[in-house]
Amino acid sequence: MSLLSRYRKALLAIAVLLVVSPLFGVIGADLVGYHEPLDVAAEALGLSESSLWSGFLPDYTVPGLSEDWLSMSMGYIIAGVIGVLIILAIGFIIVRLSGK
Amino acid sequence: MHIPDGFLDPLTAGVCYIVAVIFIVYSLYRTRASINPEIASMASILAAGIFAAQMLNWPLPGGTSLHMVGGALAGILLGPWLGGLVIFIVLLIQCLVFGDGGITALGANVLNMAIVDVLVGYLIYRAIAGKGGRPHRWVASFLGGWLGIALAGIVCGLEIGYSPSFPYGVAVTVPVMGLWHLVLGVIEGLITAFIVDYISIRSPSLILGGVLSDEPTLQV
Repeated sequence: MSLLSRYRKALLAIAVLLVVSPLFGVIGADLVGYHEPLDVAAEALGLSESSLWSGFLPDYTVPGLSEDWLSMSMGYIIAGVIGVLIILAIGFIIVRLSGK
Repeated sequence: MHIPDGFLDPLTAGVCYIVAVIFIVYSLYRTRASINPEIASMASILAAGIFAAQMLNWPLPGGTSLHMVGGALAGILLGPWLGGLVIFIVLLIQCLVFGDGGITALGANVLNMAIVDVLVGYLIYRAIAGKGGRPHRWVASFLGGWLGIALAGIVCGLEIGYSPSFPYGVAVTVPVMGLWHLVLGVIEGLITAFIVDYISIRSPSLILGGVLSDEPTLQV
């Protein structure tokens, strides 16, 4: 598959991002508390989230894994890998279709 | 800045959906002729990379976090139409698989990140990188990444702040979103500039939306 060989460095960089992602997405967020400007604005207005659909892997967690930081970190990486694979699969289909 | 369900007035959500659908259909139309396996491979890798980069939430002192959005980067590398579609795919997967960004807010999230951020980043890059060499490209992609995210934040503030039942909400949300993203967007600008610089030195042919080659750009 040409996609893999041609973009080996880029794919490696993506793998590195996924491996370190729990440092930022799980452990860092837990230490500091994840709070982005959108939350600040929503709080100021008293808006509250209503969850209509939380996804198959809600907030990048794997259902069934326990809540300690190691499992959460593993779950975060697994979620990331699944997301990347889904996107590459869609891309692969488009690559094939665009060659016709 | 992924808006969850429940933040938007139904009218706002609906209008954003219409704008998003029009943009996506038009982008598909604009990219249809030029898409080939090579460009599609690049776009796929970029989409996967932006998805992975968005998983890194940077906690900042003062208790605010941000993660990269990458819209301006996609616009600079792939042009506004394919770049917008790349961000759309990322947002769609985040929404459907991970519940990141609400289903009812998908239109608004597409408008902010796949349209505003991409277009602003692309246009600023085109305007500044125009004739210059590496320093121009650096400044152009920095400003594109920075102001793209700042403007996306302001539009996001308009969306969540506007509601017929609470007409003055925007007076609160727009300054909050605008100022924060103007500050935090500096980081997005730096990352955008480093990546564009790296790619333009290593493999300039990968910058399709830019002005490095004399050929007319493929997407625009």
